[in-house]
Amino acid sequence: MYDIRSSCLSGFRHRLLLSYLLLLLSLFPFNIASAAETAIEIIDQMEALYQGESSRASMTMIVETPQYQRTIELEASSMGTENSFIRIISPRKDRGIATLKLDMEMWNYLPKINKVIKVPPSMMMGSWMGSDFTNDDLVKQTTLTDEYALTLEETDELYTIVLVPKEETVTVWGKIDYIVNKQYMVPVAQNFYDDNGEIIRKLEFTELKDFAGRMIPSRLEMIPMNKEGNKTIVIYDNLEFNPPGVDESIFTLRNLRSRF
Amino acid sequence: MLLFKLAFRNIFRQRRRSLLTALSMAGGYILCVFSFSLSEGSYNNAISFFTLDHTGHVQIHQDDYYRRPKIHKTIDNPESVSELLDANDEIESHTLRVFAPAIAYSDTDNTPAQVIGVDLERERSTSTLEDKVSSGSYIDSEPNAEGYYSAMIGAGIANSLNIDIGDELILISQGADGSVANDIYIVKALVGDRDSLDRATVFLPLRAAQEFLSMFGRVHEISILLRDDDAARDEAALLQEQLPELTVSPWQVVESTFYQSMQTDKQGNNFSMGVIVFIVFVGVLNTVLMSVLERTREFGVLKAIGSRPFKIALLITLETAVLATLSLLAGLLVAVPLVAWFTFVGIELAQPMNVGGIVMSHLTGDMSLFVFAAPLILIVIFAILISVPAGIRAARIPPTEAMRSH
Repeated sequence: MYDIRSSCLSGFRHRLLLSYLLLLLSLFPFNIASAAETAIEIIDQMEALYQGESSRASMTMIVETPQYQRTIELEASSMGTENSFIRIISPRKDRGIATLKLDMEMWNYLPKINKVIKVPPSMMMGSWMGSDFTNDDLVKQTTLTDEYALTLEETDELYTIVLVPKEETVTVWGKIDYIVNKQYMVPVAQNFYDDNGEIIRKLEFTELKDFAGRMIPSRLEMIPMNKEGNKTIVIYDNLEFNPPGVDESIFTLRNLRSRF
Repeated sequence: MLLFKLAFRNIFRQRRRSLLTALSMAGGYILCVFSFSLSEGSYNNAISFFTLDHTGHVQIHQDDYYRRPKIHKTIDNPESVSELLDANDEIESHTLRVFAPAIAYSDTDNTPAQVIGVDLERERSTSTLEDKVSSGSYIDSEPNAEGYYSAMIGAGIANSLNIDIGDELILISQGADGSVANDIYIVKALVGDRDSLDRATVFLPLRAAQEFLSMFGRVHEISILLRDDDAARDEAALLQEQLPELTVSPWQVVESTFYQSMQTDKQGNNFSMGVIVFIVFVGVLNTVLMSVLERTREFGVLKAIGSRPFKIALLITLETAVLATLSLLAGLLVAVPLVAWFTFVGIELAQPMNVGGIVMSHLTGDMSLFVFAAPLILIVIFAILISVPAGIRAARIPPTEAMRSH
């Protein structure tokens, strides 16, 4: 009662009280919100790391299994987070096989039979070209920041963001640990767990390299924990941002079908 | 000899009773023979159907491929195994195969398919594949001028893809090296009809399938046809010794589900035959006991003049055995022509049965030593078993009491 009366009496006091109240307000819920925001920001930053506004990359993918080892050279272009286009350069047998992702949809093109095959939603967790990466890993159909609840933990060198799927999210993962290097702001590892909290696969980011002024891990190693002796390594040989020639015409079914 | 004479005399003393007993034994025997013939016959038909259709008598795989097929479980040196098998006199022929699941496409539709790459020449002499071609012609292993190989497809695939002979067939699968297997083939023949086992199968030349699956020179299966149908287990064991790094399995192992259910069914059949024989012998037991009872005085006299109890028991057993033998001879006289007719002509089915594309219009039996001998031995054993307690009873009779009875 006293406060109100006095605030009426004095403009200065009134302002002081208001700012005090604001401060008080901001202390509680806003504090939590800002932490989540940081987590979202970090993830968004990580996910955009390899893409920029548009990008073009040359990669080598090495698929290792107990039975065989296979090396594939790829060329990938992307525009924003929605559009990406990947084409196999070698081996000769598979040359020209291409994958196009537009928004939420994905197609593969097989030049030998001149056929475009749409990847159905049920195949999103299926292997891409026999590797340990899933189609979903490639096209990032699930947006981590939208579909998962994030909590941020911090040490001196690392951010660990724990992603737990929201109730309505359709996913096979029970939890994802996303570990980020604070100094360079680059991903270090992602650990994928199932519903029972058991680790299913690990994605490790190593060998920082300077691509057009950005320090980015150039070697990605995907290790499925339930398949002994299997792993897939992706090495970025070259990565350009906003390169000339990467425009909307690349991300079309017509381009997917074009002879290469 | 005297005992035999006595036995015969005793059997023919009560002609009507002996005849009725003999009839029940002969009837039981004929029933058993017929039932064994039917079950052996139909199972032998089934076995020869699938061994010739695809299984062969013996199969060779890498590791446990036949139980858990994985594309990388391959036989890596099929040529040297082939040479070894060709040199073996027990082996009629053999064939090499690769398998993979695939998706088959036409311009408009798609359907799942089982791809089987076969050595076309060897397959011809090992399985009935060539006979199953229902339209078009058996393919050859050469690609056409544009480099496309030929394919034979199950009628089910032709139907779901809406394609026919001369059309293109697109197959997509995963190669042995993890790559995407994809290629175009020209349909040259349809196999079976829409109900046959092969309705969802695509047959390719071996080399085409190996290229398709990036598994050059390697195969998944070698299927062997033997000269002697019954030698599968023995020959498999011999080959296993010669090929220690591979798995050699007789059809009994490859088709173990069928084999086990066949064994179970046969055992069930044996059991019910046992029950029938048992019922027959309850009647026989009655006859034997009656004849012992009505001859109590006689046995008393025999004992009184010095016959040994063992001789008396033996006489009873001999009587039953002679009666059983006579009825079995009569039973054989009826059973042999009956089973012969059943084997070579068979019972015509009201509606022909289609077993995987092979039409069976007649239910046929089997004529073998087993079919006749097994129930014969069963009945003789039962006859002896049943006469023993009656014989003992007769042998134990005290002479004085026995002679006093009427």
